[in-house]
Amino acid sequence: MKKIAIDQFSELVKVLAERGPLYAPVKGKEGVNFQAIKNPADVTLDFYNTVLSPKSVFFPQSEDMIRYRITHGATEAQPVPQESRPAVILGVRPCDVRSFEIMDRHFLGAGVIDPYWKSKRDNTTVIGFAFDVSAAADPADFYNTFGYGAADPEGSDVFMVRTDKALLLKSMTDRGKKLLDSLGFLQVAGAQDEKVFEETVKKGKAVRTRSAEINPQVIAKKLVSVFDNGEFWQKVTMACIACGACTYGCPTCYCFDISDEMLFKEGSRKRFWDACTFTDFTLEASGHNPRPRIFQRYRQKVCHKYSYHVDKYGCISCVGCGRCTRVCPVNIDIFSIVDEANKL
Amino acid sequence: MENPYIPMPMNVVKITTEVDTNDIKTFRLTFVSKEDEEKFKYLPGQFGELSIYGKGESPIGIASSPTDPGYVEFTVQRTGTLVGGMVTTALHDLEEGAQIGLRGPLGNAWPIDFLAGKNVVVVGGGFAFTTLRSLINYMIHGENRKRFGDITVVYGARTPGLLLYKDEMAAWQKRKDMVMHVTVDRGDASWKGREGFVPTVCKDVAPSSKNAVTVICGPPIMIKFTLPVFFDLGFSRENILTSLEMRMKCGIGKCGRCNVGNKYVCKDGPVFSLAQLEQLPRDY
Amino acid sequence: MTAFKKIEDHLRKEAKNLLEGGKVTLVLAYARGFDEKHPVPCVVKAAADADHLVFNEYCTYNMARYLTRYPVGTKIAVAVKGADSRAVVQLIQEGKVRRDDLVILGIPATGMKNQKTGEVIDAKTTASTINPVLYDVLLGDEIHGVKAGSPYDVLAEFEGMDKDARWAFWKKEFERCIRCYACRKACPMCYCDPCFMDASRPRWADKSPTDDGTLMYHLTRFYHLAGRCIDCGECSRACPVDIPLHLFHKKVAKECEAMFGQAAGMNIEDKPAMANFKGEDSDQMLG
Repeated sequence: MKKIAIDQFSELVKVLAERGPLYAPVKGKEGVNFQAIKNPADVTLDFYNTVLSPKSVFFPQSEDMIRYRITHGATEAQPVPQESRPAVILGVRPCDVRSFEIMDRHFLGAGVIDPYWKSKRDNTTVIGFAFDVSAAADPADFYNTFGYGAADPEGSDVFMVRTDKALLLKSMTDRGKKLLDSLGFLQVAGAQDEKVFEETVKKGKAVRTRSAEINPQVIAKKLVSVFDNGEFWQKVTMACIACGACTYGCPTCYCFDISDEMLFKEGSRKRFWDACTFTDFTLEASGHNPRPRIFQRYRQKVCHKYSYHVDKYGCISCVGCGRCTRVCPVNIDIFSIVDEANKL
Repeated sequence: MENPYIPMPMNVVKITTEVDTNDIKTFRLTFVSKEDEEKFKYLPGQFGELSIYGKGESPIGIASSPTDPGYVEFTVQRTGTLVGGMVTTALHDLEEGAQIGLRGPLGNAWPIDFLAGKNVVVVGGGFAFTTLRSLINYMIHGENRKRFGDITVVYGARTPGLLLYKDEMAAWQKRKDMVMHVTVDRGDASWKGREGFVPTVCKDVAPSSKNAVTVICGPPIMIKFTLPVFFDLGFSRENILTSLEMRMKCGIGKCGRCNVGNKYVCKDGPVFSLAQLEQLPRDY
Repeated sequence: MTAFKKIEDHLRKEAKNLLEGGKVTLVLAYARGFDEKHPVPCVVKAAADADHLVFNEYCTYNMARYLTRYPVGTKIAVAVKGADSRAVVQLIQEGKVRRDDLVILGIPATGMKNQKTGEVIDAKTTASTINPVLYDVLLGDEIHGVKAGSPYDVLAEFEGMDKDARWAFWKKEFERCIRCYACRKACPMCYCDPCFMDASRPRWADKSPTDDGTLMYHLTRFYHLAGRCIDCGECSRACPVDIPLHLFHKKVAKECEAMFGQAAGMNIEDKPAMANFKGEDSDQMLG
């Protein structure tokens, strides 16, 4: 295990940002969010969790897939080359780290590999960051439901714990070890540090968020069985205004749209986040829409995460980070809905 | 790494206007690259994403049969007034000689091995006949014909002018190894064929359900009234097949748009048996 | 001012009576969310459920937003605070809802709080109208004597900027926009179907979140709400990345009021400013 004094943190950031793309939390007007770091001084570790999830690092909100140029009917098209320098994402909360693996199952699974997700994921070292285990969790959080602790290192390449004066950095994978070994200026942590790290992880296991008994296989079947209970779905989704805030904030929502956009002769085929809550998500050109009503779309959202994803990939696609509830303009809370459905 | 989002270049070699309303055309495409052509192995029922840079992509069922090598055909309806329809409109504006893109073949196919050895009743309505045409051409091609039992086709459109593949229909009607029932909702002065809705015709024709499978594609209203006819005839839900339509984007099960329950129509479908569909939530 | 708790009691009682008496088939108001500080908009259809209704300082939602969901003819009771009542009036003016279908439960309230920041929403931010402008039942006493400045005072800083600074300001704000469309969806006056942003032929703006498309979206929305924005501030509160959309709406509302002599949703007899031609109308906008 390695460590670095808090007041030396900017040195670490500087070195990482020089080597390749570094994504880290930055304070903006709206709160803290992950950004590609240009100025090391921008990085902050003073945040509860980011407003939006870290998925944008591997799955940007908008991404050019193919760029082309059309002249006199002739088209030259080129797939967009992917960043090849190794990247680092620093400061990911434990529940969010787990979202990457859930997304891997989708983007790398079911027999088709998504090259855009894969190249970024393969290329990026994940530095997880423990929540402050002595502080209360946000009331919207429910990651304990999935058995995640506030300081679980699982899924991170390097896991970071903040103490009063230092940041403890423990490598969890070979890739993490390689990164830490390459940073010669880090101090070697002592036995006392090891103890603090372990105690933090242990303390993080205490239940601090909302939590419910939700078994993936059981809830998957349950939701299908209450699918036709329109009264229930209408009741729990009445307030929904059909914006896309919850899905854009979500670390495991992966639905995207593809569109061609051109300016004069040049254009690109891009993919960008879409939301199943939008009116036109399933609107066919014929005018037919299988999910014209808001409750049908919100039901799709819940069932996708807690039922269809379980059937397809064996796990629930939710990590309990609470973002959907926090960003919802009308406080719809997926945890309460799933919990209620579970008890029907 | 193979990039499944990159279309292969295709030449548009022939454009046929199918209907008198001019909004349905068949595009015959040939491969620019020999390598792409060799890799493109498909079966009836599959679809492709037609791509026009600057406009987008549109998932369209393959209308040709793999038994006709060297080209692929897509029958495309110009759709949408305010929302959607960008690509189909652009396709309709194309002239022969143009170059477009294609990704595919995508999705599952009509289950040929399951159909083999059985009597096959093909029921189609209007524009939704495209992959059925592929299937019919596949089944009646040369040596293939022996693999299947009786082939009965019921095909209907609103008016004679809206019937697709008219020349081919005429040729099929002359064949002794299949039975054709072409019908229109309302005939015109020159129409000498049958008049009546597809479900009614199916009832009249009353194909036996013994060792038989029916393959049905058409507008939802047609399917709704046709299914009870086949139930009455004794067709089991496993032996009624259809092809689902949902709005699609990626066509490879990644963009999350076209799911019905835990199935992606683009990847797990579009072909489903009624028995399979009844396992899924009514969300299509 | 009547205490929130008392307003809540009145709200429950009224809802119960109206539903029991068959005067309305549904009541649009507020219920408890996952905790007290996070209430949710709610529809009550049975008198027995009226006790679920709540009212506290965090019930900032403009329930008029839900009115256009129901077919004309549905008898609805709707709980509205000052600005919310203006939305009802504006919707009546625009023919989207009928006065006869509504029982308006007016709530005079000050000290409403932004759920995210805890900051009090007064004329400094939004919701400058304290007493409902139209109601059938008042759930609390009208509030008088509160020094409410002009709803446009908050624009002073913004208006002090020169053109370049204003441009830079909005460009920076819009950079954060994630195009979740919460603003248009939270807006009681955004009921177009389809919204111009969802049309593809012609496609007015990029569907993907490009800067140009985002600008096109917001500017068009700002102007489409000219003379229609009733200053409830829901757009800004709905925004997950805190873009102060209400500022722009206020600016447009101010210009509109100056030009056409009426603020949106103040009077049921008014015609919508942009849909009404008068000989004496200002031609300032024609240059």
